[in-house]
Amino acid sequence: MTILLFLVLLLAYVSGMLLPLCFPGRPHIQNVIAHGSASVACGMGIVLGLVGLLASEPLVWFLPSSIPLLTFSLRLDALSAFFVLTISLVGLAVSVFASGYVREFYGRIPVSLLGFLYNGFLLSMLLVVMADNAFFFLIVWELMSLLSYFLVVSEHEKPDVRFAGLFYLIMTHVGTAFILVTFLMFYQETGSFAFEAFRSADQSLPEGLRTLVFWTALIGLGTKAGIVPLHVWLPYAHPAAPSHVSALMSGVMIKTAIYGLLRVYFDFLGGPFPWWWGFVVLLVGTVSALLGVMYALMEHDLKSLLAFHSVENIGIILMGIGTGMVFYAYDMPHLAALGIIAGLYHTINHAVFKALLFMGAGSLLYATHTRNMEEYGGLLRRMPWTGLFFLIGAVSISALPPTNGFVSEWLVFQGLFLSLELPSLFLKFMLPIAAALLALTGALALACFVKAFGISFLALPRSSHARKALEVPVPMRVGMGFLAGLCLVLGLGPAVVVPLLDRVSEPFAGISIAGRVFEMGGWTLAPVSGAFSSLSTPVLAIILAGLTGLGWGLAYVLGGKGKTRFYKTWGCGLNVTARMEYTATGFVQPIKRVFSTIYQPTVKLETEFLEESHYFAKRRHFEFSIEPIFLKYLYHPILDFFSTLADRSRVIQGGNLSLYLAYIFMTLVFLLMVMG
Amino acid sequence: MPTLPINIGSYLVNLCSALLLLTCFAIVAQRRLMACVDLFALQSVFLAVTATLVAYLTGIHHIYLAAVLTIAIKAIILPRILKKIVRQLNVQREVSMYVNIPTGLLTCGGLVILAFFITQPIVHLGFLLTQDSLAIALAIVLIGFFIMVSRLKAVTQVIGFLVIENGLFLAATAAAYGMPLIVELGIFFDVLVAGLIVGIYTHQIQEAFGSVDTSRMKALKE
Repeated sequence: MTILLFLVLLLAYVSGMLLPLCFPGRPHIQNVIAHGSASVACGMGIVLGLVGLLASEPLVWFLPSSIPLLTFSLRLDALSAFFVLTISLVGLAVSVFASGYVREFYGRIPVSLLGFLYNGFLLSMLLVVMADNAFFFLIVWELMSLLSYFLVVSEHEKPDVRFAGLFYLIMTHVGTAFILVTFLMFYQETGSFAFEAFRSADQSLPEGLRTLVFWTALIGLGTKAGIVPLHVWLPYAHPAAPSHVSALMSGVMIKTAIYGLLRVYFDFLGGPFPWWWGFVVLLVGTVSALLGVMYALMEHDLKSLLAFHSVENIGIILMGIGTGMVFYAYDMPHLAALGIIAGLYHTINHAVFKALLFMGAGSLLYATHTRNMEEYGGLLRRMPWTGLFFLIGAVSISALPPTNGFVSEWLVFQGLFLSLELPSLFLKFMLPIAAALLALTGALALACFVKAFGISFLALPRSSHARKALEVPVPMRVGMGFLAGLCLVLGLGPAVVVPLLDRVSEPFAGISIAGRVFEMGGWTLAPVSGAFSSLSTPVLAIILAGLTGLGWGLAYVLGGKGKTRFYKTWGCGLNVTARMEYTATGFVQPIKRVFSTIYQPTVKLETEFLEESHYFAKRRHFEFSIEPIFLKYLYHPILDFFSTLADRSRVIQGGNLSLYLAYIFMTLVFLLMVMG
Repeated sequence: MPTLPINIGSYLVNLCSALLLLTCFAIVAQRRLMACVDLFALQSVFLAVTATLVAYLTGIHHIYLAAVLTIAIKAIILPRILKKIVRQLNVQREVSMYVNIPTGLLTCGGLVILAFFITQPIVHLGFLLTQDSLAIALAIVLIGFFIMVSRLKAVTQVIGFLVIENGLFLAATAAAYGMPLIVELGIFFDVLVAGLIVGIYTHQIQEAFGSVDTSRMKALKE
């Protein structure tokens, strides 16, 4: 039954890839077929994911191949099913959105090609999380990377897009190399590429090898996930792609790395691992979360801003998982499960709201043809639906109740606070610090989205682009609306979501906690006990709604007249223009000052005075930039080293044919003499 | 069955191989391109004679066919193509070389010693008939390579390449009494095609650089 479902899904993707090619020169038909098939396939994927989550046994499909060591084996256990579900949910919304968004590209980029790559990309991600053979995994992983690369460089006529693509390609291959090494180490020990063999080998691996696997997996998969300091490609590549692809890359693709980490650490390595593994993951997560949000604040390109927020949220996910690993190492399965569930919950939440926000950014791009926030403004009146959905996404990512981001971050906090129960004094000390930094991250994220929403949607239009903006087509609104609804559903329904996630974490933590974390008949979430902490988002939502209603009511009762007066706001007799508004740069100025140690900002202010008097400025030129620390101190030295090396070795390349022949000749003679 | 006593046959094969080697030295010492082509044709004839001898002495018939093809392609067709190129390009003499002729000859002598030295351990494993031919074949390959390295003109480099090919053919005949027929046919075809391609390529160099001097191609370097 499920195999049939899977085959239909496969068929839908393949037809989405190939059918549009049969209608050359008809972009509209290509668009409808490509994204229609993708939507159908994603619908199937949602069902498949749910079936996999609820199945008691992992579903295994197996297809041998004639290539040695390679089998097309797929396995759908709870972890895979969860990611299949996440990919398909987001994929469905993005596909609907894309059917409107790619109209932008008619006549510029072949839509059939875009559809081919898009469907292939979705399919490869699904196969990545379902692969049950290291060889097969690497093939689909590589496919995923390459297809996303081609999607990133869709607008390859722009030089910065080409640069972003190249940067991405290099970084992702460095990551793949590390993953390859990880699997080869397993292969060396087990003599097989099947994940089944890796799984059963966990305990027999030597301690040194296990540590090595821990690091290579963290670096390899971390490059894809975008952990600091391997995140540098992310703010280039994600904004360069077409917005619906950015939504997929930022929302879903980087999550395949989270899948990989869980698979390798809990499933393959399993068993008791040292506590410092969890601590390293937690540390990496905390640093990524904090630096991600801090750099996001300084961005005025909406899509780059969102890309940096992906770094932040990957950090939060890793904080959850890292906490889980620490508890697991100390044999506290109940809390370990809590950490994993928190991480997974945030995974799906981030997938949903980040895809939503990227689609919002795409809508703004569609309407205004610019990504620079300083040229937006006043868009809420012109694009009310987009504004509403973007606001919901912004509220979610800022972790405000009663949305989904709040629930998962709250769970991460619970895990960190429960470090009081750990036997180690060091961790008792460190985990609350991580919690404090997470709180700082949340606050900065809120500031960032106040900026993003306020500057973009409120006040007066700052440019003619924004003045002429129109609401986006219906499919785009439907796509965003679906995810906005999902944000609320996931926020209000932890009682449904947590038991499902519990099925994922149960085989890893070895214990099911679904029955223990709820009180009041499922309405309240209480990870330890109601006395320690509890959360009920539905009740919170009711209280919030009640307070809002109360406020309105009071205003109505006390404020007297229900009449609305239209009058200029706080104008003090001046004509208010867009140039008087708070700019995005101005908004973040205080934060930039406070954290100037990290930003190392360079400010340049040049003033041109009137010739007659130095009291009157003719023109002012203001420029400010922040130091890209990682590029400057980590990547550039490495690059410089290699380019120097390449320059040196160029000497042997004389350009003379005889010289090259002589090299071959010398080698031949030398080898003959040595061997002879 | 061959009527010649086996040791006399062996002497004859060695003699022919030595003549092949001698023509190599002659090519190294020759400046005029036309003469080089002629020497190559002569070398191919000696190669065909060696192959015929081996075929006669061992009774393996398909080597006869290889000998006929050698005459046809390497002694007649390829020299004609090369001569045509030389005439068209109007380059008669190789004036400058990377290594002057006396030094070149000395180096080639060294290469021959090297070849004999290297094949020392394997010679006594081989067949009686063609014992020394393997060493000579290797020497020819090395000298062919040396011609390619030391000369500047594309035409002589092609000749060097063809000399290497002759050396390999001799090695195959000497060490293994020839390769399977189908392989030999393939190789002959390859050589012919290579000759044609190189002819065109030489023309292109002439057109692009105004000379067939491959050292001018340095300009292609960034």
